[in-house]
Amino acid sequence: MGKTDIIQAPSPALAAQVPEGTDLIEWYYEHGCSDGLPVVPPTAVKIAAAVTALGGEPGHVLARVPPRWGSLSCEVLAINMVMAGCRPEYAPVVEAAMLALCEPPFNLNGVQATTHMASPLLVVNGPVRRAIGMNAGCNVFGSGNRANATIGRALRLILLNVGGGWPGLLDKSTLGHPGKYTYCIAENEEASPFAPYHVEHGYRAEDSTVFVLAAEPPHSITNHFANDATGVLDSICSAMSTICNNNAVSAGHCAVVLGPEHAATIAKSGWKRHDIRHYLWAHSGNRWGDLYGNGRYGKVYNRNLPVWYKREPDARTPIVPSPDNIHLFVAGGEAGRFSAFIPGWGHMSAPVLRGVGGAQPASGPECADGTCAV
Amino acid sequence: MHDAVMLEARGRPTAVIITSEFVREAETQRDALGMSGLEAVVIAHPLSSLTDEEIGQRIDQALSQVERVWLGEAVTRTRP
Amino acid sequence: MKTLTVYDPRGAVEAAPRAITSRVKKLEGLRVGLLDNTKWNANKLLRGLRERLAARHALGATNYYRKGSFAAAADPELLDRIAAENDIILTAIGD
Repeated sequence: MGKTDIIQAPSPALAAQVPEGTDLIEWYYEHGCSDGLPVVPPTAVKIAAAVTALGGEPGHVLARVPPRWGSLSCEVLAINMVMAGCRPEYAPVVEAAMLALCEPPFNLNGVQATTHMASPLLVVNGPVRRAIGMNAGCNVFGSGNRANATIGRALRLILLNVGGGWPGLLDKSTLGHPGKYTYCIAENEEASPFAPYHVEHGYRAEDSTVFVLAAEPPHSITNHFANDATGVLDSICSAMSTICNNNAVSAGHCAVVLGPEHAATIAKSGWKRHDIRHYLWAHSGNRWGDLYGNGRYGKVYNRNLPVWYKREPDARTPIVPSPDNIHLFVAGGEAGRFSAFIPGWGHMSAPVLRGVGGAQPASGPECADGTCAV
Repeated sequence: MHDAVMLEARGRPTAVIITSEFVREAETQRDALGMSGLEAVVIAHPLSSLTDEEIGQRIDQALSQVERVWLGEAVTRTRP
Repeated sequence: MKTLTVYDPRGAVEAAPRAITSRVKKLEGLRVGLLDNTKWNANKLLRGLRERLAARHALGATNYYRKGSFAAAADPELLDRIAAENDIILTAIGD
């Protein structure tokens, strides 16, 4: 059997009418329009409700989605939302996330096609989280919440159907990861002792935002013994400092998700977001020599890393080039001394933060926790 | 493929080398950019972990294909 | 026969057809641009092909260029420069 035989790529001709009694779930499977799970067969009523939530112009094209460069009109977005199981009120979040993914610095073309396992992680901030019932707490990366599950799934269906990122054809990921079904969380602003992520980046607390990062799966960090900031953060630094996560060899951006208990311990030491990110940056990294077999394969330069990294055996190689490239969130249930490190793809893709419903950052300097960026 | 299409659009015959694993992807990119007539030069996958001798074999595979893309002769490709 | 409506979730692909440029008649005397997208071994492949091509044809010149990132399109300014300084172009390793 040829290796592509088992992949359900969309067939070129989709009929507009099928006989009554057709099993529509099977029909969409047969036409290669599914992520592998059954889709909700779209109806005119459900599509219209989502189109209305998107502003009411079905033909308005929001973006072209690579690598197929299909046109993402409001109607096509609505069809995929319905298929994913979204409620109409999720539309502003799905729309903002797709616009973020299609901004050039994100390089969605590369993210879709790469042999690396990266998939877009979506983190939602602001009041919209509560308004649409997102889960920011217990089992935040797991199953059980409709909004988290179906918003992430709608993005994936669009990347497959409109973007053409079919595994083995245009998506060349060697392994993929489970987040390619859905990878969507909300920050637990209520349980966080720190300013929300979007406020750190200049938005008002009453604005809502989406953040997207081409990301590996979360790596759990357990620490049950430390009762101060550095004790917890040293464990996170350890998880960050492996020679084989993609940041280690390709720089770029990563995310750290603090569980509320760890966040509370760190806050008790008086530390702010800024302090945490700088500590993680300063005390993680690898020995240059360890990255490339300590000379066994000759001298390696690696153009994917910044020119200013010292390429000598004992030099420290940062995980990412700057503390600003560590994106910090608080999420998860209020019990449990766990956090997560989420490596990114590398310098080939920059994360994007975007306001929901056109929200823009507040004017003036970026201020958070009493610290303002210049 | 994107770069090759943009260089062709600037009036320069362009041969782009891809590995056999990326043929479908390259063709989709090319078609999405409207230049379905652009033939790629295909060498056996992989390239990244090869010895110098193996890279020499890839060069052998590519050479005549490159010339044909520039000269516009029909490419009779020996599939790797 | 009663029917049900099904919906296409894929969106249209709209691309204006573009022709490839005119091919060259011979390679002798032409300036060859080599564009390295910095993927592993692309440089060895391109340099090897440059030697072999130069041995077979009296090329006018060969010029070597490197992209900022293998995963993104080259800057338009770089493409302008390559097109201005060369007659034919070879790029690797593409996808």
